[in-house]
Amino acid sequence: MKPIMKTWLAALAAGFVLSVSSVPAGAEDLKDAREIVDRTNVAQYYAGKDGRALIRMKIVDGKGRSQRRQFSVLRRDLKDGGDQNYLVVFDQPADVRNTTFLVKKHAGKDDDRWLYLPGLDLVKRIAASDERTSFVGTHFFYEDISGRHPAEDNHQLLETTDTEYVVKSTPKSTTGVEFAHYTLWINKKTFLPSKIEYVNSQGKVYRRIETAQVQTIQGLPTITRMKVSDLESGGYTLSDISSVQYDLGIPDDIFVETSLRNPPQKWLR
Amino acid sequence: MKRKILDFPLQHTRLVFVGLAVLTLGLGSAIPFIRIDTDPENMLSEEDPARVFHNETKEEFALHDLIVVGIVNETEPQGVFNPESLGRIHELNERVKSIDGVIARDVLGPSTMDNIEQAGPGTIRFEWLMEQPPKAPEEALAIKEAALRLPMLRGTVVSDDGKSIALYVPIESKDQSHRISEEIQAMVDGFGTTTDQFYITGLPVAEDTFGVEMFKEMAISAPLAALVILLLMWWFFRSFTLVLSPMIVAVTTVTITMGALIASGFTVHIMSSMIPIFLMPIAVVDSVHMLSEFVDIYPRHGDRKAAIKEVVKDLFSPMLYTSLTSAAGFLSLMLTPIPPVRVFGAFVALGIGLAFVLTILFIPAYVSALPEKRLVKLLSSKRDAHEGGLLGRVVEAAGAKSLRYAKPILVVTAVVIAISGYGISQININDNPVRWFKPSHRIRVADEVLNRELAGTYMAYLVLKQDADPQGEIMAAGDTALKDAPEALRTRWDEVRAEAVAASKEGDTTVADALIEATSNLAFDTTGEESDRWQKVQAALEEAQTQSKTFQKPEHLAYMDRLQKEAESLPLVGKTSSITNVVKTVYRELISGEERDYRIPDTNEGVAQTLLQFQSSHRPNDLWHLVRPDYREATVWFQLKSGDNQDMTAVKNEIDAFLAENPPPEGLRAEWAGLTYLNVIWQDEMVGGMLESLMGAFVMVFIMMMVLFRSPIYGVLSMVPLTITIVLTYGLIGLVGKDYDMPVAVLSSLTLGLSVDFAIHFLERSRVIQAETGNWRETMRLMFQEPGRAITRNAIVIAIGFLPLLAAPLVPYNTVGFLMAAIMAVSSIVTVMLLPAIMINIQNWLSPKRERAPQSAERSSAPLATNKEQTT
Repeated sequence: MKPIMKTWLAALAAGFVLSVSSVPAGAEDLKDAREIVDRTNVAQYYAGKDGRALIRMKIVDGKGRSQRRQFSVLRRDLKDGGDQNYLVVFDQPADVRNTTFLVKKHAGKDDDRWLYLPGLDLVKRIAASDERTSFVGTHFFYEDISGRHPAEDNHQLLETTDTEYVVKSTPKSTTGVEFAHYTLWINKKTFLPSKIEYVNSQGKVYRRIETAQVQTIQGLPTITRMKVSDLESGGYTLSDISSVQYDLGIPDDIFVETSLRNPPQKWLR
Repeated sequence: MKRKILDFPLQHTRLVFVGLAVLTLGLGSAIPFIRIDTDPENMLSEEDPARVFHNETKEEFALHDLIVVGIVNETEPQGVFNPESLGRIHELNERVKSIDGVIARDVLGPSTMDNIEQAGPGTIRFEWLMEQPPKAPEEALAIKEAALRLPMLRGTVVSDDGKSIALYVPIESKDQSHRISEEIQAMVDGFGTTTDQFYITGLPVAEDTFGVEMFKEMAISAPLAALVILLLMWWFFRSFTLVLSPMIVAVTTVTITMGALIASGFTVHIMSSMIPIFLMPIAVVDSVHMLSEFVDIYPRHGDRKAAIKEVVKDLFSPMLYTSLTSAAGFLSLMLTPIPPVRVFGAFVALGIGLAFVLTILFIPAYVSALPEKRLVKLLSSKRDAHEGGLLGRVVEAAGAKSLRYAKPILVVTAVVIAISGYGISQININDNPVRWFKPSHRIRVADEVLNRELAGTYMAYLVLKQDADPQGEIMAAGDTALKDAPEALRTRWDEVRAEAVAASKEGDTTVADALIEATSNLAFDTTGEESDRWQKVQAALEEAQTQSKTFQKPEHLAYMDRLQKEAESLPLVGKTSSITNVVKTVYRELISGEERDYRIPDTNEGVAQTLLQFQSSHRPNDLWHLVRPDYREATVWFQLKSGDNQDMTAVKNEIDAFLAENPPPEGLRAEWAGLTYLNVIWQDEMVGGMLESLMGAFVMVFIMMMVLFRSPIYGVLSMVPLTITIVLTYGLIGLVGKDYDMPVAVLSSLTLGLSVDFAIHFLERSRVIQAETGNWRETMRLMFQEPGRAITRNAIVIAIGFLPLLAAPLVPYNTVGFLMAAIMAVSSIVTVMLLPAIMINIQNWLSPKRERAPQSAERSSAPLATNKEQTT
């Protein structure tokens, strides 16, 4: 009874947050692109106060050859749409097991990132660079996993359909980005993107992220399956997100360097 | 039968003309549909194992053919590492990505590659090496320093001396490389005059550009040769009307043959582009014989129809023989394993047959259609030609000398053959598509400069592979872990296995991954002892999977390292690259950034985690150019400074020897791929194939000669000029140090065909004349009149006619032009001077059977004795 109660309360709380911020509550469409994108950012990356998930990624290249990555993620938000902490612990393939990333994400400045490689018994800080590097060899970029800050782009609402907002986002600075702009299709109810398409300087869509499945977990709409496709090479990565739990009460003090070598098992499973 | 053929063109002149016109226009209309194929790869058949493996390797490792763009600056003290030059390079680097047919994601250059370095203590950084062009000179130098620290870039993208940069532009298909290189050139031209020099090269550019220029040459060289031949004939025969006829035969033969080739759906390869050049002389030769004789005979008859009939009657047999033998020479090319050479051989043979038919039908029809008035003029103006003029006197004098100095001539011949034999032993078999251009050509210049500045623009790949199927081993590990488990678990395991195999067949996963995922779920979903069991199975599977990744094992990487050190000790190898370099570089930067840490981690896990970091860069997929995602197969990239086949062969031999002496661990197999290597393969097949086909043709022609002359001696005699011509030409090639390459190889069949022509004409006519005169000396004297002149005229026409090829900008065309002239000169001289010398010396053997019969008992001494009698 008690856990159910808690979940229900969490869902209620989450719904409250959503309904507070979306004043017209679906009755009326939003007009401000930036507001839409801000809410998308929160819905996608800041669900709950904290969260845990098991992520399985299948990387399939243009020739149909596959590889696997499996890792657990712990997250704690410091402020919705603002700073948050991540701990990512690898489980598969076995030869990279317990490779760990610690990320302290900051709004408005570069993230702090650390890395632990058990095979070399090495803790290393990763210097800031652009965030459009591959996430461990998948077709996702680091930025797709951690979230691109809405302030980095100019947003324009292209279209509002019965179910979706279509927003075109153009980077304020071309440094560190390989796209000319990207287009988001955002669900009006959940504020989760159903599709994102990246367009290069020749006006060609070369990359696409699609949401394949959304589940409501603890009252929070959550993407549980997504696919990113590299349209030039024909490769793609499928990401399955399972064991999602929100608001576990993950303490902030596990997001420290010492957790790299000794991940907090209590919170991981 | 022969009579009917002879009369046909005279009775049906119009039919002959109309038929020829219809045939020419009909098949000629196919010519605009020409498809050019300059890919030397097509020298190997589609199924050739080396080619199949090359393409599998390209596919497996996503290797593309590369255009190399080098930027050199000899004015600035820091080379191209100054803000202005780097600005241009950056712009070019970015802009080439947008060219259609360029694989943008794989373009290698400072703007599209990652730098990985230390950023303060304990910190590692991945960033674009040159995301923006530098603004200050110090920034430019920083880029240089960073690039020089990266073994994957040093020598490849940045020259060792830190002065030059190269971009590597991968392209979707080779046949676009000329267009793409032109587009790059246009971008470079857009920079205006700068202190930077831009060079564009690479095997695909050389090959494709050759095709474009070859196409131009076909439109220039062959017609030019035709024009020169026409002018020469005009000079000899002094009648434009008359000499137009051989030209018509030649042009229609070429048109119909090329039309037929194109209409049959064949592409025009480098080989078949030479068909017009080969057919032209062959088609002209027969007609020149006919005209020569006609001009000599016509004044006697004063009746053009009677004269031409006599000419055809006289020449029908030798012409048929020569056509048959020439055709045989080219048909023998069908014995080679090289598809374009087979097509070439077949269609030249077809053209030769056609030329014969056309000569027999068209020339008589043409002559008979000429108004008698025109020919009367010929009568008066042709006196010079009829008596032979200067040419006639020279030939006659040469003939007289050859009889008087028969013995010295034989001695000289023997000496020349001996020297040629030495020359042949010196022949250097080598080819390199870049060398098909003259040294001044911009591709050759670029090739020379970039191979001096950089590690090498020629790519070859050594593929190391583990053949055994890893999935079986991994499943066996699971089986073992469940050996003494309860029946129920093993049944469940069998189901899991079957599901995993099925899932892997659908794609998206591997058997090992599916098994591990399934057992992990089972361990999670079950409890107690069963859960423990599944956990153990999962652990066993994971261990087996880790072990199956061959090129993640330190010992295998160490072996590759040794192999690369060995390779780089060879002067021809500029550089090698492999997954080992990637692992060592990333490891170095992870640990300290110091040179001492440029090494392979000690454990599989260490390597795997190092590589995981590499994959967190902007270009994670670069790894898959070096190793397969299952780590069972890896490539070592060889950058060679020379694309000469002999150099590639030398490198291969050295490495093969190393592999034999230092066997790779655990049943690894090594195999070669890459365009540079593939060129070696087809060359080997070509040289071997050509030798075989030459031998085959030689024997075939010899048998034909014996049958046609119904005499073994005549058979042997007719083989003398061609044998000496081949020995001499190839001896010459060996002596002057010209590489035995594709055009040289193919010319051997032409030599065979053309040299035997002269011998047949000479022998056939001698025999006929001897039968009339019954005296060899008198026969020879007569032979140096009209027949000798005809042969010499022919030789001169063709030899000079092909000299324009020497002006072509493409080396194979020069080679053909030069050798054609040499072949004509040698074979005509040998025919006119050596054959009489031999024949005079063995005249008793040549005499009719009944006279020869009594002497056959003392065969061995007879010729010598006869010689003495005759020469004194």
